[in-house]
Amino acid sequence: MKLHRLVRPLLAAALALGAHAAHSQTIGYIYVGPEKDYGYNTSHDLGRQYVEKTVSGTKTLHVENIPETAEVSRVMERMIKSGASIVFATSYGYLDYAIELGKKYPKVAFMHAGGLKTGDNVGTYWANSDDAIYLAGMAAGSVTKSGKLGFIAAFPIPQVVRSINAFTLGAQAMNPKVTTTVVWTGGWLEPAKEAEATNSLVDAGIDVIGEQVDSPITIAQTAEKRGIFVVGKDVDVSKFAPKSVLTGASWNWGPTMVKVVNEIKAGTWKPSHIRGDLKDGTVVLDPFGPAVTEPVRKTILAKKADILADKFEVWSGPMMAQDGKELLPAGKAMPMDMLESMGFLVKGVIGTIK
Amino acid sequence: MTSFDIVFGSFLVSALRSATPLVFVLVGETLVQRTGSINLGVEGQMLVGAMAGYGAAALWGDPWLGLVAGAGAGMLLSSVHGLLTLAARANQFASGLAVWMLGFGLSAYYGAGLVGRKIEGFGTWRGAGLDDVPVLGPIVAGMTPTVLLALVVAPAVAWWFWRTRTGLVWRAVGESPEAARAAGLRPIRVRLQAILLGGLLSGLGGAALSVDHTRTWAEGMTAGRGLVAVGLVIVARWNPWWVLPTALLFGGAEALALRLQTADAGVSAHLLLTLPYITSLAVLTLTCLRDRGQAAPAGLRAVMDR
Repeated sequence: MKLHRLVRPLLAAALALGAHAAHSQTIGYIYVGPEKDYGYNTSHDLGRQYVEKTVSGTKTLHVENIPETAEVSRVMERMIKSGASIVFATSYGYLDYAIELGKKYPKVAFMHAGGLKTGDNVGTYWANSDDAIYLAGMAAGSVTKSGKLGFIAAFPIPQVVRSINAFTLGAQAMNPKVTTTVVWTGGWLEPAKEAEATNSLVDAGIDVIGEQVDSPITIAQTAEKRGIFVVGKDVDVSKFAPKSVLTGASWNWGPTMVKVVNEIKAGTWKPSHIRGDLKDGTVVLDPFGPAVTEPVRKTILAKKADILADKFEVWSGPMMAQDGKELLPAGKAMPMDMLESMGFLVKGVIGTIK
Repeated sequence: MTSFDIVFGSFLVSALRSATPLVFVLVGETLVQRTGSINLGVEGQMLVGAMAGYGAAALWGDPWLGLVAGAGAGMLLSSVHGLLTLAARANQFASGLAVWMLGFGLSAYYGAGLVGRKIEGFGTWRGAGLDDVPVLGPIVAGMTPTVLLALVVAPAVAWWFWRTRTGLVWRAVGESPEAARAAGLRPIRVRLQAILLGGLLSGLGGAALSVDHTRTWAEGMTAGRGLVAVGLVIVARWNPWWVLPTALLFGGAEALALRLQTADAGVSAHLLLTLPYITSLAVLTLTCLRDRGQAAPAGLRAVMDR
């Protein structure tokens, strides 16, 4: 009984505090890895900082290293209790937890990165980096001497499979005989395995590597040490490997996040799948490295102009699967569901996603 | 040079590189357990070693100083475990876990500013005229100073442990601290020395990973290697002579899992990536069946059974 009397006013005070905080808009961010990883999570944290700077009266909370388990529900709930009215759940595996929690807290807006489902108050945002990766693949295809490219990737999820295919298709546009050998590390942040995977690929005669792990930093530096080339992703790491980095596909989340936050503030927001790309600037093609010659740069930039002018579509036929079966006939664009749930590798990719 | 030479030589050196951080950690933890205690905090010690080593290398531009700093940081953190368990008589498992978490937190906190700092690593012997020598060429080319250090440290410690008087003292303490005390030895002091040496070596292992192998500092970058080492002590039968082959078995399986993918073996990557653990488990099962768990030092069994 006594405890009750003590707890109640405390609870009321906490609620009042929460209400007050909600008034001045508190936004929570949850990252699956370290915020300072120089990769995926850093790109999201740069977005967070941009929101805090751009939208006045905004306070942000952020928590790093939260696994894709029930743990994330607890973290989101704690954020909501301390006043967050918008939650950015930035990792793929957070989606179901966000939707579940959204039912419990209908007044909170949830934004999930890359999900394929929405809820009454759960929207998703993502950016299609395929165009930029395709262009970066063109650089890879023009630089390779052996005709053998490599790709180091964490897990075979659709977003990663798309990158592998786009990279390969871009390279094949410059040199149709190019192959891409895929190595899975089985973890987003495995520097030791990433270094050794790079060494393995170099020893197998591969001279350009693409990657999609948490941060390109280890792979880029190992490639520089071994004298081969890399294509980056998420964050530009050319200063760590000035000779090796050809170009890359980096994120720029800030403007998208600001737009969503302003819509939520104005009450005009409706949960949807927001998808940015090279065109709207959510994805950026990094500056070219010295190994990319002037004529190649021109070809790539011409292709970029075609993409921006809707004259070229990466995901269109003719396209063959790894085993030579036809995926798309010439001139046909890939259907949305086939693209978003991509579970196949294109012709020229060596490796397995099973 | 045939492709066999390249494949074999480069695989061997790849296995060595993957095994190197483990060798240091494993030597250290073997000594700790041989003197009758257990330190689960090695993962945290590796992390502070990796962070401090990277920081020192970034600050002073010398990878050797990085290794020294990493070893020092690992030893410093292990002293917390030493004091907690030996002076305060805290539960060894609880203390080890606490040190692990402490190391994770400290390295994340102080390492945040190091992410994105560039360091100069060690040079290589690539292009030193040996590149075309069969088998040896790729091995020399892929070799790094910490690999050589690991190849020296493991047998040196094993020799010291089995062939010297101090080694005998350490073994005696591990088998029966009471008997050792009765013989005029000081078990607590020996255990503390072992824990500190273990800390030094695990810090060095962490620094080898960050300064030499990956030239990267990333939070939590050891990804469980420290805990793996605690388990591998059992595979190595608590014998320093077995440390090198055991670490090579694990590192070799890890390298093989990556190399089979580059060779388009057509095996599921998910299965390949479990290879190091399956191999270790298989060896563990075989050796345990043979000696029925009698290889552990008697003093350590007392800790486990208590």
